[in-house]
Amino acid sequence: MVRMKYGIDRYAELDSPVHRWDPRLKLVGLGALAFACAFVTDLRPVPAMLAISAGLAVLSRLPLGFVIGRLRYPGVLILLLAVILPFFSGETVLARLGPLSLRHEGILDFLLIAGRFVAIVTIGLVAFATAPMLTTITALRALRLPGVLADMMLFSYRYLYELGDDLNRMRTAARLRGFQPRRPDPHSLATLGALTGSLLVRGHDQSTRIHQAMTLRGYGAAKRNYYHFHAGPRDIVALGATMLLAAGLVLLEVL
Amino acid sequence: MHIPDGILPAGVIASGYGITAVATWYSLRRIQRQDDPTAEIPKASMFTAAFLVLSWVHVPVPPTSVHLILNGLMGVVLGWYAFPAILIGLFFQAVLFGHGGLTSLGVNAAMMGIPALLAYSIFRMRTLRCLPSRRRPLWTGVFGFLGGFIGLVAAAAILFVLLVTTVPATIDVATERAAISALVLAHVPLGVIEGAATALVVLFLLRVRPGLLGGDPAPRPARRRS
Repeated sequence: MVRMKYGIDRYAELDSPVHRWDPRLKLVGLGALAFACAFVTDLRPVPAMLAISAGLAVLSRLPLGFVIGRLRYPGVLILLLAVILPFFSGETVLARLGPLSLRHEGILDFLLIAGRFVAIVTIGLVAFATAPMLTTITALRALRLPGVLADMMLFSYRYLYELGDDLNRMRTAARLRGFQPRRPDPHSLATLGALTGSLLVRGHDQSTRIHQAMTLRGYGAAKRNYYHFHAGPRDIVALGATMLLAAGLVLLEVL
Repeated sequence: MHIPDGILPAGVIASGYGITAVATWYSLRRIQRQDDPTAEIPKASMFTAAFLVLSWVHVPVPPTSVHLILNGLMGVVLGWYAFPAILIGLFFQAVLFGHGGLTSLGVNAAMMGIPALLAYSIFRMRTLRCLPSRRRPLWTGVFGFLGGFIGLVAAAAILFVLLVTTVPATIDVATERAAISALVLAHVPLGVIEGAATALVVLFLLRVRPGLLGGDPAPRPARRRS
């Protein structure tokens, strides 16, 4: 069954200081913070990094279960590293477990990677879960994202839901006719190929009709700004504070 | 096949974004050169969404199952729109579903997108004049397969070179090389499946809606002897 875990912006209507922050400045500030975290190569700033991201999550009033749920899926790969790194990376052996030896550097590498991962994913979540996706895309456009990219983002976000439903319907239809692939044999590949092709053809027909309807309504004729963002003193102070935190992390790293 | 946040070192993240910025800029420039740059946007975005949705379809490969990456197919069908489409697709995958990551978006987009552009240039060879045009379905299938195959294998090669050389900082060079070749070789069968799927989809489109594949040259004017 296709998993439809939509709803990153499920909690966009909550009221919190992060929700009220001008989306443009929020994306810039939290983006800078996320990259500052990615650039950390030392264990010392990791507690500060985790504290900042936890503080942001608390400030945004997103439910704890939601935040943890978002960390879980990609966490699987991080866990894989937890198995590999401590045993294969580094020279200082801490303990021996049969043929394997637990190495000091490997454990430090792993803690660093896990810390960066948790901090960046949490910051990203706070950045994108605190406004409706359409507002976020409009804010990106206001931040001079090229028009072609912004339009493509809006459309593909809109089509995702529809195509997901289409795909589910077609898969149900295939199952009802007894299609149960077990091996990548020519027959099941041909069926999957036809399924993919049908989805593309349907999608294309629909997008052509939508484009014609949009052209009739003036799409592509004039460039207009559709956004009404306003950055007050509070928004700017918040941006300044985030930038200072990001700079602080970089400084801790350099010193 | 996506690298999550937190794994890559700063230099790789920055160069990933650098490469992605250049590739996006160049693709957009090529798109702007078309007569009506907005005309293809709905189609390209619809395909972006379709490829996102299709990455949920699993092909059974005992004892497990794999999902198609389809970056080769994306290059084949979308041409210059493939890179921006992959960038946006990966952005949504990171933000909506938590696959991949935001700081690693540049690296992931370059890893998937550049092989897609490679697949596009391979697929365009099907209209070479030296290939007899009455065998069009055969050549479309062959170059579709090659596009899908090379799209996946090149992406896998980039992924493993990055992961193995950057993540465990203290593994010796010989082990690294062996690990990379083993991992890439292990992906060759998946490349064959990906190539076969790409060829089948392309042949389906050629049968049902050949206009979607584009790139069919106009009939050659009769050459006048002088």
